[in-house]
Amino acid sequence: MPRLEPNSNARAPLPAMEGAAAVTFQNITVRLGGVLILDNVSASVPRGGCAAIVGPNGAGKTTMLMALLGQTPYSGDILIANTPAGDLPRIGYVPQRLQFDRGLPMTVMDFLVMGIQRLPLWMGVRAAHRDRARGLLSDVRAEALERRLIGALSGGEFQRVLLALALQQDPELLVLDEPAAGVDVQGGYLFCELLERLRRERKFTQLMVSHDLATVTHHATHVILLNRRVVAEGFPREVLTPENMSAIFGLHMGLADADALPAKENTLSSSSCKEDKNHA
Amino acid sequence: MPDFTPLYGLMHSFLPFDCLNARFMQQALLGLVLIAPMTAAMGVHVINFRMAFFADAISHSAFAGVAMGLIFAVSPHWTMPLFGLLVGLAIMGMKRHSSLSSDTVIGVIFSAVMAFGLAIVSRNRNVARDLQRFLYGDILTISDVEIVSLIVLFVVIAVFQALSYNRLLYIGLNSVIAGAHRVRVAFYQYAFAGLLALVVMFSVWAVGVLLVTALLIVPAAAARNFSASMRAMFWWAMLISVSSAVAGLLISAQDWARTATGPTVVLCGFAWFIVSYAVATSRRRFAL
Repeated sequence: MPRLEPNSNARAPLPAMEGAAAVTFQNITVRLGGVLILDNVSASVPRGGCAAIVGPNGAGKTTMLMALLGQTPYSGDILIANTPAGDLPRIGYVPQRLQFDRGLPMTVMDFLVMGIQRLPLWMGVRAAHRDRARGLLSDVRAEALERRLIGALSGGEFQRVLLALALQQDPELLVLDEPAAGVDVQGGYLFCELLERLRRERKFTQLMVSHDLATVTHHATHVILLNRRVVAEGFPREVLTPENMSAIFGLHMGLADADALPAKENTLSSSSCKEDKNHA
Repeated sequence: MPDFTPLYGLMHSFLPFDCLNARFMQQALLGLVLIAPMTAAMGVHVINFRMAFFADAISHSAFAGVAMGLIFAVSPHWTMPLFGLLVGLAIMGMKRHSSLSSDTVIGVIFSAVMAFGLAIVSRNRNVARDLQRFLYGDILTISDVEIVSLIVLFVVIAVFQALSYNRLLYIGLNSVIAGAHRVRVAFYQYAFAGLLALVVMFSVWAVGVLLVTALLIVPAAAARNFSASMRAMFWWAMLISVSSAVAGLLISAQDWARTATGPTVVLCGFAWFIVSYAVATSRRRFAL
């Protein structure tokens, strides 16, 4: 099936329209060491949109991503829609934080080239791969970082480099774990605006985990409210209601003012990073 | 059996030292020059994967490998690498499939294998006397048969490093990202564990059970301090490893030293590390 353009009218109530889902979780249960992490979770990720998994700490948000990436055993089915060409979609993954040896003498260029070049790095970097890596860095507005060591990058810089690594896959599905964590507020808005622009240009489906409601309300087109089981799923204004929020976060959040949320019809066309204009 | 005499002659003309007149010294030199680049290249990943303890466990399973040789009446030169390979793959398998942390898994297998080896070896007094060879290494008695097997392993490691270096770095940084980005993580992890086990077992001849890990870690650690890219780190590790091996062998043969070769090689590597540490520290101070 053809990929849907953002803002297409066809992108409508989702669970009902199976064909529009890039990923469908069906009755996913995950139990780790006898503890129930996910309990019979069914949800879907609409193609071409930005889905956010929202929930309190310990709700199983990251576990859901790990199940999708095949990193944790689960029962149930995860259906990943094929590309129009009939192939399995390529996935790009941006983790929340990377624990690695900060003293490793790996430059940002090394980091990006190791994923595409077979020729070992000790034999040098091919010109074509260098150009490709530079292109990716400019896509994420990180041109200046090329020669820096990855251990010396700030949180926000490294996050953009990780995004470039994920974009290198030319992904149909981009999976992000807590893109706003570890970055200051302005950095978070910039990153969110960057993602929005890239998603429009490259037309990938975005699935992210977030507990930062500001990011979600300004950015997501589809929300999965999770607390071990799916509490609600759908458009942000339908899901992020005061009732739902206080049910899972246990207090009145105040952020989920339904009128402030983008309406159904213009979720994608409205600049989702409105706030950014005030901050930039 | 190929005749290495021309090769020995060539090496001697490059390093015209009196102590290299003896054939056993020439063989030892060739053996070390084959082992040092392998441990340097694998060491870069051992550091990246934090697998120093893994390498330690493999080297200590040398005793059990020797014991297996006794039980089945096979030369320990065959049972040692084979047993090391098995232990390496077993540890990697358990690590991948159990919820225990990797150092717990390694610790359990390490102690079991070590106890088994010592139990068997302790029954046989002749072998018990021979144990010193495995503890301190015995590169001076290396034969041409062993050199041929080292050459074969060298070629395998060179091909593996040429094809997998970048993928191994990817997995070492984060196996989840690598897996999501279509790198065959399990294949590379098992291949690396198996080949590392073989390199470790062959290195036991050179420097002994107790010091094998040093051969992997020290050149890579010193190289890290000198370099500003992964390319530089690889070549620095090569330089440090090979030069330490050659210097260690030459020094150990001097009348004023007369030390065991293995420990001398490791001490040369450590001297490199001290220099690299000073360079890194002063660089940091000037940068600030």
